[in-house]
Amino acid sequence: MAHWQGVVLGLIGLIATIWLGLTGQLALYIHPRYFVFTIIMAVIAAVLALAAFTLDPATPDEHDNDHDHAEEGRSRWGWLWSVGSVLTVIAAVVALLILPPSTLTTATVAQRDLNGSASALTLKAPALPSKGDYSAFTVRDWASLLRSGAGQDFFADKTATVTGFITPDKTDPNVFFVARFVVTCCAVDAQPIGIPVYHPGWQNEYTTDSWVTISSGFRANPNPASREAIVLIPDSIIPTTQPAQPYVY
Amino acid sequence: MTLPAVDTSEQSAHEHKSSAPTFRSKSAAGLAVGLALVVLFAVVRVLAPPASATFGLPDAARDFATLSISVVVESLPFVFLGIVLSIAVQVWLPEGMLLRRLPRSPVLRRLVLSLLGMLLPVCECGNVPLARGLVVKGLTVAESMTFLFAAPILNPVTIVTTAQAFGWDNGVLVSRVFGGFFIANLVGWIYSRHPRPQDLLTTRFQETCSLADHHGPASRVKRSVRMFSQETRAMMPALFIGAGMAGLIQVAVSREVLVTLGGNPVWSVLALMLLAFVVAICSNVDAFFILSFGATFMPGGIVSFLVFGPMIDVKMLALMRTTFTAKTLLQLSLLVALCAAVLGLAVNYGH
Repeated sequence: MAHWQGVVLGLIGLIATIWLGLTGQLALYIHPRYFVFTIIMAVIAAVLALAAFTLDPATPDEHDNDHDHAEEGRSRWGWLWSVGSVLTVIAAVVALLILPPSTLTTATVAQRDLNGSASALTLKAPALPSKGDYSAFTVRDWASLLRSGAGQDFFADKTATVTGFITPDKTDPNVFFVARFVVTCCAVDAQPIGIPVYHPGWQNEYTTDSWVTISSGFRANPNPASREAIVLIPDSIIPTTQPAQPYVY
Repeated sequence: MTLPAVDTSEQSAHEHKSSAPTFRSKSAAGLAVGLALVVLFAVVRVLAPPASATFGLPDAARDFATLSISVVVESLPFVFLGIVLSIAVQVWLPEGMLLRRLPRSPVLRRLVLSLLGMLLPVCECGNVPLARGLVVKGLTVAESMTFLFAAPILNPVTIVTTAQAFGWDNGVLVSRVFGGFFIANLVGWIYSRHPRPQDLLTTRFQETCSLADHHGPASRVKRSVRMFSQETRAMMPALFIGAGMAGLIQVAVSREVLVTLGGNPVWSVLALMLLAFVVAICSNVDAFFILSFGATFMPGGIVSFLVFGPMIDVKMLALMRTTFTAKTLLQLSLLVALCAAVLGLAVNYGH
């Protein structure tokens, strides 16, 4: 078991990666620019792993050799070591092969500062369209504009149509955010961004983390004490399903 | 002169003759086992319940899984690239080609080695198998440390992303590049004075080094494959456990605490070093990540984050534990942390 633990773990990761690639779900974990490299390396490594099974069979004496010296010191704890190896493999199978792939949730929004990320909001400052066509604007573009300090006059005649998941405002119960994660490399560096939506009683209609599409104009927040001065006040909120690319780049 | 040569060829021929049939049947059995595992894993993955079933897991547990999986999926190809490069260096490069061209003087050797990362744009997780390969090939332990710590920072991709994130003017990029270069060479110099460098390595890795000499008769392909399974055996458990720890700590440690510390010149340095240790992000992109804290943290803190993170973090410690003893890693962590802290404080107070 110990002899093959590494190659088996590698195979679990590689097959999960290739499957994610084939089913178009790699975007849940890494930035699209790594897709080609990741898939090519995964296929090469899988071929090498099969070659390892074929050309490097653990002959009995070689196997003993592995344990002779290196594990002499831990012979008393040897069983613990084997249990650890088995548990690692089981954990990898559960995490990579059994659990359904999923996006990050509001738990991570709470852990990271919503709209706190200067890079996520300023790196791609949206170019203002000349004809006033804002239909292609994403959550990120609007959030950048809101953060840039554009005044209420600027937003007065603009309509935003955005899709994101619902995450509550920490301070104001009447407000939730239509949020997205901005990913620069992999989900580990995801930064949450969002647009505030004023909709009292939203908790009764929608669940946190569910995906919605909102089309609405910007207004001043009816609650002047709120941290968000400009909010969306939609007439209707359309529940939707999670898009194929849940993160923005 | 001729006697030993005859001896080895005879020995290998003999070995070959007696073990050929058993080897062939074992190969077939091995391939069958490998293919069976591939099919088994693929079937499990395809038949696993679809995304609609969330298993009733709480959000934090799901995010722990998502974060850990993303570390594995992101690092796996880089680790395998590192293993392939390591095999190329050990088996396929002409004997001593890389090492013989290095300057003789130890200080100059380490200076050149710390620039090797420029040619090998592998991020830090891929550097560990490569450094192991270089040690087997005859690099000293101290030199391997210099390479390991300098390569992720003096790496074209890292330099470009840092320049994009922070620009050229405010000293973050310059402090990062020169600070990383200096610390890597300082660590190399200190450990080059160690009386018994072998003691810094784990017994298992020492065996790998000594075994490498005895693989003479085997063909290059066979040696490559053997090395592949050897390195995979060492790296994969470390990567999976490191990814699990990185995911767990991210879900468990409150960032608000870290952020409240950010305005203080001393605490911003310590807090961001702790953050670097915890989040374990690849050096290629950590500049963008920390830019999000740019408003809350002082520049010295950011410099220590950018210098400390690529060298030491939970994932790297797990990977390096395959090679260095726990005591060595503790010393290294403290030494690098001290240097990064001094650098960060100097930036904070020098501004």
